[in-house]
Amino acid sequence: MMTEEESSSNTAASERIKLNVGGKLFETTLTTLRSGGPDSLLFALSNRRSADPTPVFIDRDPEIFSVLLSLLRTSHLPSTARRFSNLELADEALFYGIDAILRAATAPPPFSGIDASLASLIRPASDGLPSSFAAADSGAVWIAHGGQISGYDPNLTHAATLRTHLDHIDSIYKVWPEIAAVGSTSDAGLHFYDFSGSRHVGSVHWTDPLDPRIFKARVNSITASEDSVFASFDCLHRENCILEVDKARLQVKSQFARQSGNQAKNIVPGKLTWIPATGVLVGSAVTGGAFGYSGYVRLWDPRSGEVVWETSEPGSGRSSRFGDSFADVEADVEGLLLFKLCSKSGDLAMADMRFLKDDPWVYLKEKNPSLASYGEVRNSVVHCYKGQVFVAREGELEVWSRVESGDQSESDDAERFYRRNFVDKREDSERGVIKKIEGGGNRLFVSREDVEGIEVWESSHSAAAISLL
Amino acid sequence: MPPFEGSQPVVCPRPETNNIVSIDVGGQVFQTTKQTLTSAGPKSFFSRIAESAGVYSTPFIDRDPELFSLLLSLLRTEPFNLQKSLLLPLNGRDSPSALAATAEGALHVAHGSKITSFDWSLRRKSTVLTQFTAVDSLLALSPSVAAAGANDFSGLQILDLEKGRVRETLNWENVTKSGSTVQAIGSSAEQMFVSFESSRRNSNAIMVYDMQTLAPVTEIAHNEIFGADIDSAIPATKLQWVESCNLLMASGSHSGPSGVSGNVRLWDVRSGNVVWEVSEKVDCFADVAVCDGLSAIFKVGVNSGEASYVDLRNIGNAESEWICLGDKRKVLNGKKEGFGCKIQTQGTQVFCTKGGDVELWSEVVMNGGRIFKKNLMGRVRDMGGAKLTNLAFGGSTMFLTRKDQQCVEVWQSSSRDF
Repeated sequence: MMTEEESSSNTAASERIKLNVGGKLFETTLTTLRSGGPDSLLFALSNRRSADPTPVFIDRDPEIFSVLLSLLRTSHLPSTARRFSNLELADEALFYGIDAILRAATAPPPFSGIDASLASLIRPASDGLPSSFAAADSGAVWIAHGGQISGYDPNLTHAATLRTHLDHIDSIYKVWPEIAAVGSTSDAGLHFYDFSGSRHVGSVHWTDPLDPRIFKARVNSITASEDSVFASFDCLHRENCILEVDKARLQVKSQFARQSGNQAKNIVPGKLTWIPATGVLVGSAVTGGAFGYSGYVRLWDPRSGEVVWETSEPGSGRSSRFGDSFADVEADVEGLLLFKLCSKSGDLAMADMRFLKDDPWVYLKEKNPSLASYGEVRNSVVHCYKGQVFVAREGELEVWSRVESGDQSESDDAERFYRRNFVDKREDSERGVIKKIEGGGNRLFVSREDVEGIEVWESSHSAAAISLL
Repeated sequence: MPPFEGSQPVVCPRPETNNIVSIDVGGQVFQTTKQTLTSAGPKSFFSRIAESAGVYSTPFIDRDPELFSLLLSLLRTEPFNLQKSLLLPLNGRDSPSALAATAEGALHVAHGSKITSFDWSLRRKSTVLTQFTAVDSLLALSPSVAAAGANDFSGLQILDLEKGRVRETLNWENVTKSGSTVQAIGSSAEQMFVSFESSRRNSNAIMVYDMQTLAPVTEIAHNEIFGADIDSAIPATKLQWVESCNLLMASGSHSGPSGVSGNVRLWDVRSGNVVWEVSEKVDCFADVAVCDGLSAIFKVGVNSGEASYVDLRNIGNAESEWICLGDKRKVLNGKKEGFGCKIQTQGTQVFCTKGGDVELWSEVVMNGGRIFKKNLMGRVRDMGGAKLTNLAFGGSTMFLTRKDQQCVEVWQSSSRDF
């Protein structure tokens, strides 16, 4: 009779498997090998008759294999992994079919603005000043620079560079996993480029058979819903509209929001955001002049082309905020919130998109008196990512994040408790004025004026202790 | 440290220096001092050996001598061997305002409205956002739970640092029905002590909570201010449990037109009575700490910047007063040289910050009297950095923060990885 303990240790023995990788012998359990998933090469090996005494021979590098084996055992990369580049590990993991596990282990943790540091700098090889970029949820990024688009994969290694016919790309949007929509404010039309074939796959122009003045319209901003691409066009005489383009056929579906462009409140929207939850398109335009900023925020229903809600500044809002019109507006797609940054006071205000009214703005307060005055800023960018609001004032990057309130009684639901913190250090802010912020794949990508490349900010659980010995 | 293999153990004890203890561990005799043994803590096994070891008796411990020699060397070498070894960077622009470490060496750092926690290996970290604009008092209850309070925010919050949530908020119900700000937090093994002041700053008290349930146990040191006699009710800004005599040290000071004045009190928590107290008029403390291992209270004077001590064994007597360890003449200077200095004790060592340096005071046992001698910690290149703002100990590791530097300095024992 075998006791239970003996039998369990016996099964453990038969569960074991030996592998000969490049001459080095490895012994592991079937469970470990199978943790790579049923599609992996290692899973296939684990189905071999375990009675066979000779270990399976795999003609690969044993050193990298030992790293990947500890990854399977612990689901963490060991410190020895640092000897190999991300690309080497990724290639080898692809061979064994465990690339998904490697990606999960190397991907940054959920992005938290209060605990982020500069992880790397991506610099395209030529014409490195980025004119625009688009981040993907996987953590990959496409950078438009000098009429070229460079693609970087989730490991941030260079994947491909594509030359477009445009001289300067001002807006880029990822329409399909391999197809980018690009537009320029100096060249006409919305263009689609296929990254895998590195070729031009289509163009859309705004034309009007009844109006010959609608000619050579340029793209100012691009966004996309599940099946349409929206792009705002304006002509040389500033007349503008939004075209809805069918994502599959790359042809114009409809035209709406046509405006004359002769005033600040009907110029072309410089920013478009699609809100999937409510099916509305948020557009905003801001111009800055000698007398301060002016502009509008408008919400359209693309099916009817009607304006659902709008506000324009100066001219609306509370009298105490007179002359304090917004310098930038951004929509939080998941939280259904609008954020604006006031040009004069520097205050951040929030509006709930579900309850928009005449003056929906709630001004967020800085609780720390020593940081309370921001003063007027010339250049500012607002971006929402993962429920946090990132605000760039000149070169400084700050984050407004929600604090979990202990008791519900005191917190008013509309005015949620936001707290401001700096993401960067003072020396970071001296690198240059921030031009664009975009989040994707738990990374925050930041580009600066006249600075080559884009910065990648990540959160990390690693203490990154610096040894002083 | 090799055990005394082959060598003839010294059996004959010298009665004139009864400070030396001989211990027989698994057949090998070790000799050490009582201080080394008691540095393991007043209730530790080593302290009991020190007590049981008489002049002519050698206690026997049936354990492996090799392992014992390691433990003994650990006690002997620490923390003389602390060296600046790591720098833990903090993200953002806020400088650390409070530090709290667990006995295992896990660390919580409050910087701005955030608390960053490092695990015991100091390899992994996580950061949470709190409701405070700045945390002024922080106590580590476990590697993932901390108690935090601020001078400008009502209530003590028990924070779950893994989930980033407030687990519980503890408030002091004061007479004026205003909020209660936290001035200091301390703890013993069973209880947590919190010094509260009402938001109107006219009353204060020390609340005692059960460590497990966080239920209030008692309230001591309740003070209320009537009229202009502010000195009668200075809230405690430092609380420290004195294990060896089961008393709570509470000290508080405030700065007035006539200079800084304050008091240091020892409270019997169960009866709510003051056992001993000293009023600080001339050279009020900048910081106070009790050293259980040396049975003494240490302070650093705000005017002189010099360390002084009171022997705890004398506190029943009339002559219990501060004995200055440095230049006694500086007591009367008005330069406030000690402003912002911190003092902490660990085992039988006293650490005192002065500007950018840490002074280490240790006792040298001589015949008939105690002498304290100081050393500056670190090597030449470590000296004279920015002003030190916080000092904390976690196990055998010392954590330091400096003014305007967004990082924590870690000083570890060089014999750590033997």
